[in-house]
Amino acid sequence: MFVTRSIDCDHKDLIHDVAYDFYGKRLATCSSDQSVKVWDITPDGQWKCTASWKTHSGSVWKVTWAHPEFGQVLATCSFDRTAAVWEELIVEGSSGERNQSHWVKRATFVDSRTPVTDVKFAPKHLGLQLATCSTEGQLRIYDAPDIMNLSQWPLQHDISCRMQCSCVTWSHSRLHPPMIAVGSDDNTPAAKVIIFEYSESTRRWIEIEAISFYTDPVHDIAFAPNVGLSYNLLGIATKDVRILSITPQQVQDQMGVNTSYQTNQQSLSSSSPLKHEIKQVMQFNDHGAQVWRIAWNVTGTILASSGEDGTVRLWKANYLENWKCVGVIKGDSFNPGSNLTYVSAIVSDQTENENRSDRNMNKQTARYYRLSNINNPNNVPWH
Amino acid sequence: MRKKTFFITLEGPANALALNRDCSQVAVAGRNVFKIFDINDDLNSFNETLNLRVGKNLNLNYSCNDVVWSCIEENLLATAATNGSVVIWNLQKSTRSKIDQVLMHHKRTVNKVCFHPSEGHLLLSGSQDGTMKLFDLRRGDISMEFNSQSESVRDVQFSPHQEWMFAAVQENGNVQLWDSRRNDKYLRQFTAHSGPVFSCDWHPEDRRWFATAGRDKTIKVWDLTIAGTPIVEHCIQTIASVAKLKWRPERKLNIASCSLLLDFTIYVWDVMRPFVPFATFTEHKDTTTDFVWRGSSHTLLSVGKDGLLYQHSIKDAQRPADHANPCGLDINNYNDICHAVSDLISKSNGLSSSNSGSYPIQSSNNNNNSSSKSGITGALAHYASSSLRLLKKKTDYNEQFRCCTSSLFYIKNECTNKALSMDWFVTSALKYQLSGRPFSELCLQNAEVAMHLNRPQVAQTWKVINQLFSGTKSGTFSGPPSASIAANSSNNADDKVDPADIRAPSRHTSGSVSGRHLNGKTTATQTTNPLNIGPFSMLTPAEQTSAQTEEDSDSSDVENIFPPTSKAYIRLDEKSLKQSDFFFGDGDVSSSATLAVTYEIVPNESTIADEHAQDWDLPREAFQPRHPIQDLQIPPDIDAINTYPSSPTSLDEDETAVEELSNIGSGVLSNVDTITKSLLSTTVPHNPSWKFTDIIVDILHFYAAQGDIQTTISIIIVLGERIKSSVDENLLEFWFHSYIDLLSRFELWNIASQIICLSPVRNINILNQTSTTIYSNCGNCLKPLTGKVAWLCEKCKTSPSICSVCRGVCKGVYVWCQGCSHGGHLLHMSDWFSKNRFCPTGCGHQCEYT
Repeated sequence: MFVTRSIDCDHKDLIHDVAYDFYGKRLATCSSDQSVKVWDITPDGQWKCTASWKTHSGSVWKVTWAHPEFGQVLATCSFDRTAAVWEELIVEGSSGERNQSHWVKRATFVDSRTPVTDVKFAPKHLGLQLATCSTEGQLRIYDAPDIMNLSQWPLQHDISCRMQCSCVTWSHSRLHPPMIAVGSDDNTPAAKVIIFEYSESTRRWIEIEAISFYTDPVHDIAFAPNVGLSYNLLGIATKDVRILSITPQQVQDQMGVNTSYQTNQQSLSSSSPLKHEIKQVMQFNDHGAQVWRIAWNVTGTILASSGEDGTVRLWKANYLENWKCVGVIKGDSFNPGSNLTYVSAIVSDQTENENRSDRNMNKQTARYYRLSNINNPNNVPWH
Repeated sequence: MRKKTFFITLEGPANALALNRDCSQVAVAGRNVFKIFDINDDLNSFNETLNLRVGKNLNLNYSCNDVVWSCIEENLLATAATNGSVVIWNLQKSTRSKIDQVLMHHKRTVNKVCFHPSEGHLLLSGSQDGTMKLFDLRRGDISMEFNSQSESVRDVQFSPHQEWMFAAVQENGNVQLWDSRRNDKYLRQFTAHSGPVFSCDWHPEDRRWFATAGRDKTIKVWDLTIAGTPIVEHCIQTIASVAKLKWRPERKLNIASCSLLLDFTIYVWDVMRPFVPFATFTEHKDTTTDFVWRGSSHTLLSVGKDGLLYQHSIKDAQRPADHANPCGLDINNYNDICHAVSDLISKSNGLSSSNSGSYPIQSSNNNNNSSSKSGITGALAHYASSSLRLLKKKTDYNEQFRCCTSSLFYIKNECTNKALSMDWFVTSALKYQLSGRPFSELCLQNAEVAMHLNRPQVAQTWKVINQLFSGTKSGTFSGPPSASIAANSSNNADDKVDPADIRAPSRHTSGSVSGRHLNGKTTATQTTNPLNIGPFSMLTPAEQTSAQTEEDSDSSDVENIFPPTSKAYIRLDEKSLKQSDFFFGDGDVSSSATLAVTYEIVPNESTIADEHAQDWDLPREAFQPRHPIQDLQIPPDIDAINTYPSSPTSLDEDETAVEELSNIGSGVLSNVDTITKSLLSTTVPHNPSWKFTDIIVDILHFYAAQGDIQTTISIIIVLGERIKSSVDENLLEFWFHSYIDLLSRFELWNIASQIICLSPVRNINILNQTSTTIYSNCGNCLKPLTGKVAWLCEKCKTSPSICSVCRGVCKGVYVWCQGCSHGGHLLHMSDWFSKNRFCPTGCGHQCEYT
């Protein structure tokens, strides 16, 4: 069962991004009102805004947390063509209690001449690195050589993607060479997802794949956290929800997949260390509209997507690697400010059935109850 | 007629442009440019009609800061020259040079000229010298001079509502309102910006509104009707200094701006939504210097330092709001979801309870908005149509644009469903026992934990592992049997055992308890390796391997607890050359779910094998899971006898069994390949490993692939040496890193460090030892203490830590006063300060000892 609680966020414009920190106990929101707010959870489970400050002179598109090993550090990017790194300074109140915290800007990235659409920290094992992408089509990677000094971020790589970039993501796998995927939301019929891999030998990021069968605008892209897989899963939010699996071709692929597309491999440059097999694992149009956001859970087993239909849908693979919708959550938003609790969706408990029989799993579906109407037939999850 | 975006290249950068009254011609002026173009809407092009920059001596009068076209006299233009003169141009002049008058009255450059809205002969200028002059063009002289009392005037604008009034903005951030009929003092003055104000514009319709913009990157809309200091009605924060401002005609709330530096874009803002530009024109390649709305709200002309004259169409404008993501979404490690969604989306999808009445469904727009319109426009249309029906109110893009609030939801996961909750992870992390007890106890304990958490599949895995590796003990103990098993296995691997057949009995014995995921995996692994059954239902490897490790044809002393199989003597693949028989027995009565399966291996010489097989017998009790292995590292065969202290079977029996088994082994040996020989020659097969190690590895891989790295790691740790080197070191490291990462996400530091200590991977073990050194410097010579002992400086051969009380070298805990830096042994210091207040060295410092 999911319990939806409305948070009175007091942002004066659209909220474009929310991000949990590593421990899931803090929340950062960013909005077009040029501010970022940081929320901490109180012992009784309420979210309390502990900091709110103006970060940019334009819409703040994305906010992201660094690994706590590097301190309480946020990165933001904005329509004002900059990205920034922020660090929290704790101001001891007179009561000794932790009051409003103070965030100071440690670095500003001004290399872009167009709005910066996404910013992401590299996974921890790659050190303190930051990738940004901009509408002019540049993927930039910055590296803080000294993690104690957050004001020095030399630009390491400046890579042209030849498309209006909208989102970027790092792969989390330690097993494979570092990988970055970039998505684009322009309307040209060209490839919308490009995957880069870091080549240790040349010390450069090499484009290993432009996924040419995706030509719809891509709004969000996310590598699944990898806790032991031999391949990477890449979630893509476009007009529907998709998941790609990216397997280095030396590794034997044992997955059962619904659809498999063999992508054109001719774009692979000769210096590319590994060929990759890229397969589409799932594609679902349940939102019936543009999908704006996706997020993976920590183990990379559940994908949540949020779309134009105002719902959050949860996706999970069953034992045959068939992805299924396991939950639909509808927020009831028209009581802003009120802290009423709504039971919006109840996702079926699979456990009982799981115990009963393993053969029935095919028919496992999610039941859910809703309080508000769904007026779009496409919104009704179909199983 | 479709208005389109088009441009023409000028000779050089332009500073300003002006439209004639009917908006059919445009004058472009700059340092080196002064031309008039016809705007041809049919051909979508500009045609040069007149170049005003002609004549013998092109002096600074031709270099313009600003140009203005009289809206009363069709042929009258005025320019503000950089040399301080105001030049009047008459296009009707028959001479080549169209200069009519040169009014050289300002001492410094003129920033702005402005015609009186109704009296065509009046021209106002604002100059860098801080004055504004009103020229009467009939007389060709100044009619009035206004002194702003500031350094420079950047913009002057006559009010369209009260034509005698004009506004002047200055570099010191002030705005002054003047009555053009009196020059002694301004009517009003207020500070509008911090830093220079570059531009101002009266609202063409609303008398109250007056907009200013400046270097402080803001556009402010003032309400001037309020007496006293005007208040800011709206404030728009832009990304660069704003150079020019123009209200959009016909759209009350829109205002356009361009930047002074860095930013080449022309923005159209909606004052109701001050943070996101309504539309942008990004065509210019350098700073846009001036722009003007071409009569209507749809087209805009602009010039820039890139020397381009553009006509922009609002249709071709970019709408940044369309690219703005209306949703935010994230999941934390407890699978709580945070969802921010634009109220527009919620509204358009009728999530509001007030809108819950049924109304026609708009499904079509969702599917066809993929092409040119991005999603939000689709939803906007949706919203528009639904509100049309519901609210009986027409909404347009502007209105939807202004609907720009988001709601933030925290969706707490209170699922008991294990698929969606992470409680199991934390609980198992805390409760799993990974070391310190005998192997099988660990397994059973962990199985219990898993069972308790309603994870029968994991529980089963633990039990199976317990069974397998406890079984290994007996198998290795007798040495040769395991070898013969190996032989059998290698034979089987070639052609014999069909996993499906093995699975079949397992299915109905294991019943519903076996996990659902496993069976799925089976199909994958089955095809790759017939023997490598993979981590499919836990009982299968158990049956197979235990069967193969314990050769036993006589199950008479076995008490079967599974009625359906106890009597069943299952024939496996009768057609195969070998006969393989299965017995389903009870390996451990105490653990009801485990099965020990008896399995008679019948090699090619089946008769011989049968004879031998019937002779020997291994007691069931030998495979009790609770054999007292104290140290998991000890090779099993060393204390093999100790393994069965309670075994009712005598040692003699065991020995005979060994003999007989070696017979079988040698019998088999003749038929098997070299691999088997090598296995046979190993009298102490350390994990003779046969194939079930692979199965375990498959189980590990399987759980890792399920995202359940916890089970994988726990099994690896519990198995310790047993599984070592069967998993690739890099992979193992990766798994451990993943698990440790995951544990630290849940702030389970103790568990994480336990895992680090227990890990068989060296690179993981040393994680605890990084960054644990504290570097210190010698207090005397200030050189780093690099010696072997911390209390002696090798440089100056003194001990930096002398106790101030006993004068001895302090080798343990050294406490010191931060004020005078004297200190010593903790005990001595606390003694001292219990009686004294001053430093023991007599330095006179009053130390604070707490």
